[in-house]
Amino acid sequence: MSILATKDTRVVIQGGQAGVNAARRMAEFCYLIKRPLNVEAFVYPPDAGKTNEVPYGSGLIAIPIYKTIAEATKNHPAINTSLVYIGADRAMKGGMEALDDSHIKVVSMITEGVPEKDAKILGAHARKLGKVFNGPSSIGIVSAGACRLGVIGGAFDNLVLSKLYREGSFGVITKSGGLSNEIIWICSQFADGITTAIGIGGDAFPGTDYVSYLEMFENDPQTKAVVIVGEMGGDLEERAAEWYGAKKRRVKLMAVVSGFCQESLPKGMKFGHAGAKEGMKGEGSARAKSDALKKSGAIVPATFGALGPAIKEAYQEMLKSGLVKEPVEPVSLPKLPKTVEEAMKADEVMVAPLIRTTISDDRGDEPCYDGYPASELINKGYEIPHVVGLLWDKRLISKQEAEIIKRIMMLSADHGPCVSGALGTIIAACAGIGMSQSVAAGLIMIGPRFGGAVTDAGRFFKYAVDNKLSVDDFLAYMKKNHGPVPGIGHRVKSLRNPDKRVKELVGYVKSLNMKTPCLDFALQVEQVTAAKKDNLILNVDGTMAAVLVDLGFPVDSLNGFFILSRTIGLIGHWVDQKRQESRLIRLFDYLVNYAAPKRREVPPLK
Amino acid sequence: MAKVLEGPGMGLMKKWGIHVPNYVVVTSADELTKLGQVNEWLKQSKLVAKAHEALGSRFKLGLVKVGLDLNGAIAATKEMIGRQVGSITVTQVIISEMIAHKEEYYCAVKSTREGSEILVANCGGIEVESNWDRVKRLTLEIGQQPSPETLEKVVKEAGFTGPLAKKMTDFAGKMFTCFDSEDAQYLEVNPVVTRESDGELVALDAVTLLDGDAKFRHPDWNFQFAAEFGRAYSKNEMEVMAVDSKIKGSVKFIEIPGGDTAMLPAGGGASVYYSDAVVARGGKLANYAEYSGDPPDWAVEVLTEKVCSLPGIKNIIVGGAIANFTDVKKTFGGIINGFRKAKADGKMKDVKIWVRRGGPREKEGLDAMRALKDEGFDINVFDRNTPLTDIVDKALQKQ
Repeated sequence: MSILATKDTRVVIQGGQAGVNAARRMAEFCYLIKRPLNVEAFVYPPDAGKTNEVPYGSGLIAIPIYKTIAEATKNHPAINTSLVYIGADRAMKGGMEALDDSHIKVVSMITEGVPEKDAKILGAHARKLGKVFNGPSSIGIVSAGACRLGVIGGAFDNLVLSKLYREGSFGVITKSGGLSNEIIWICSQFADGITTAIGIGGDAFPGTDYVSYLEMFENDPQTKAVVIVGEMGGDLEERAAEWYGAKKRRVKLMAVVSGFCQESLPKGMKFGHAGAKEGMKGEGSARAKSDALKKSGAIVPATFGALGPAIKEAYQEMLKSGLVKEPVEPVSLPKLPKTVEEAMKADEVMVAPLIRTTISDDRGDEPCYDGYPASELINKGYEIPHVVGLLWDKRLISKQEAEIIKRIMMLSADHGPCVSGALGTIIAACAGIGMSQSVAAGLIMIGPRFGGAVTDAGRFFKYAVDNKLSVDDFLAYMKKNHGPVPGIGHRVKSLRNPDKRVKELVGYVKSLNMKTPCLDFALQVEQVTAAKKDNLILNVDGTMAAVLVDLGFPVDSLNGFFILSRTIGLIGHWVDQKRQESRLIRLFDYLVNYAAPKRREVPPLK
Repeated sequence: MAKVLEGPGMGLMKKWGIHVPNYVVVTSADELTKLGQVNEWLKQSKLVAKAHEALGSRFKLGLVKVGLDLNGAIAATKEMIGRQVGSITVTQVIISEMIAHKEEYYCAVKSTREGSEILVANCGGIEVESNWDRVKRLTLEIGQQPSPETLEKVVKEAGFTGPLAKKMTDFAGKMFTCFDSEDAQYLEVNPVVTRESDGELVALDAVTLLDGDAKFRHPDWNFQFAAEFGRAYSKNEMEVMAVDSKIKGSVKFIEIPGGDTAMLPAGGGASVYYSDAVVARGGKLANYAEYSGDPPDWAVEVLTEKVCSLPGIKNIIVGGAIANFTDVKKTFGGIINGFRKAKADGKMKDVKIWVRRGGPREKEGLDAMRALKDEGFDINVFDRNTPLTDIVDKALQKQ
């Protein structure tokens, strides 16, 4: 047997994320004791109509979320308990709603920082209705082998270590959440474990006091002794002593009280839970409480550390007198399925990776590019082109190479609003489309006719150089197999109207002391083609391609240089239109050659 | 519980119709001079000047001056502002009118588990403290309002008669309304006096404790709460409070000058048992501290730095029970970072660290602590199998 939280307990949780976390812990406990999940519903108006997914074993259970307690209990009439995880400013309203529902008999409030007055009103209301209001600031209630309400008991491993999968003989009542777990553990190590452990919360005036729970334990035949972990302040311990001393009780009472340090602290200095700061004019001191408990016949060890041996002694006596028998431990216990991460850490599974990367790693405190931490690159003077080198070609390029890449990027960052890419972005921007989509609209234009010839140009020039083709052989090869030479030819530029960008780049690269076989070849090609037709010049794509191949960049990366550079311009165009609050634009019909058939009659549908 | 200084405390009483003396709170003598030009009562009444700070024994410290005229009050203000008492600098002075009176009475409302209690006595000042049996009580359930009849009954039991009984009944009723409406936990007026000029009952001195948790529904609580133990908060304490107000979970820190055992335990409950253990072993606490509710690691790091900065410490007790949901590895990560910073600042020389903890990811957390040995820390790490406060025994035995 157990009190308050039993095998018949069915729960509604009021609140959001904190409540969901508690439900997960509760599901772990249900899984351990091989019972179905006892949480049936959530009440959380912002998410009403949705579900919360709670892991149970290796599966997930969807728990419905309702707007009100009434809806929850109407749909789940077995609900008899509510756990309140609502913020302190709304906790009273939520607690009242639960208490007023006829299905609900126990309300346990986990919320901390609830105004004292609200807690008193809730407590009084519950007493009037003959219900239990536990908390506020309660860590929860757990009955071994039967039911867990809240996160009390801690992680799964601790549930097992503390033998919470089967009943013991000790009841536990604490104000402190952390110490409840400690006592549960002590009871399992020095004796046969607990029946029920209750966190009543550390507030000044908890909704339900020790005495109410002592009465319940007294009426629970399985509970043979009750351990109270008290604190200075208030008079709950004194009342418990009074109850225990009033007549012969079936349960044995054991208690420790904290706050003796108060006696040697500077006057007026108090600390601990809110409740521990209560008590004016000397009342509620640890010594007064401890003395009252001792006088009532309770076992009161001198220190917290002595509690374990005292529990052991009490248990041994119970064994000797035949009051309890040694517990039978289950042969096997369910193991909580590990997450893939946990199992990998424990070397228990091998996972075939889904993707493989060879360029970067984000798992530390900062990204590493090809192994080099980003901050170290910055601090040692490296720049954007070096990052491009690391991520595109997996090598640290030289200062000179970086300078060339920087110039390529500067020269091709933008080319005005009229070109396909910028126009695409501007039209999208004027239609009110966001930045990433508008810029993507521009990037989509990059292809064989606009900006996207760099890779192909590089590929063919490299093919020619690698195979030592003469210009004539190369042109013949291209004509036969591929068509026009990528990187040669311009829509408006020509020999007489040269592209300054090409001149600039070629001039700079040639001024350096480096070998440029590809660029030299491309320039030779230009001499032949431009002689045939004025505008068949080496264009900026072709120039970039030749230079980048000479720098050793892989052919497949070459279009990237144009895409990267032009993205700067496209973003600029989007921001520019946004700044001007440009309106939607469309083509004027006089800019369209309407070559469609004249208006005609639609024939009847056959 | 949150203590409120006299000025705002009187303000709350006045709001609920309780007569209080005229008063002003000033931060300089000049301000008082200006106020004197526009407030007749400052020129016409005998005045009291008191340092408006959370200080005990102000009278002994010369921080209360009575029977002054305006010039005297200005001079007293000049003298008090800037006075240094321990860690407190006087920054405010409250000037109130002296109320000529003969008889003194007592009235208080206190919070109880069931609701509240109204206390009245027909003696006041120090007399009531030595005659506590003359205090009569009216016990009220939560939600219950005192009826004028029941109030009058207890007032008469306390020995009030005739018109004065009527006035005291009214006064106690207003005290209750103020208590109930302002989420107070304790209101005490001692003394209540009869003002000779008009025969009205006036609250001469008030103790006001409010429920800080109810601040969200009192937009007019525009005052700061005072430290609860007769001194101002230190800079480090305030910094931890600032962190505490920002985070999920909590971090707490109070300095106790002169101690050599520093505390860095987890949990509002366990922390006090650790403090008890130190005192029981004859140690001297250098502080109180506590972190709980799975606080972020950076908050625990700040707390750790403050703890390591305490002067003259020999041991640091990093204790804790078996946590329910506080992530041991994460919170210990914060503590470890704090330790490393303190060590880099040369603060951890001859300081022994004692660790005991359990809870989610306890193994990882404890292993990380153990590894600090390799960095030259004098650290001793224990797991859940060592009883809670045994590390205190070990720490203090070795000295």
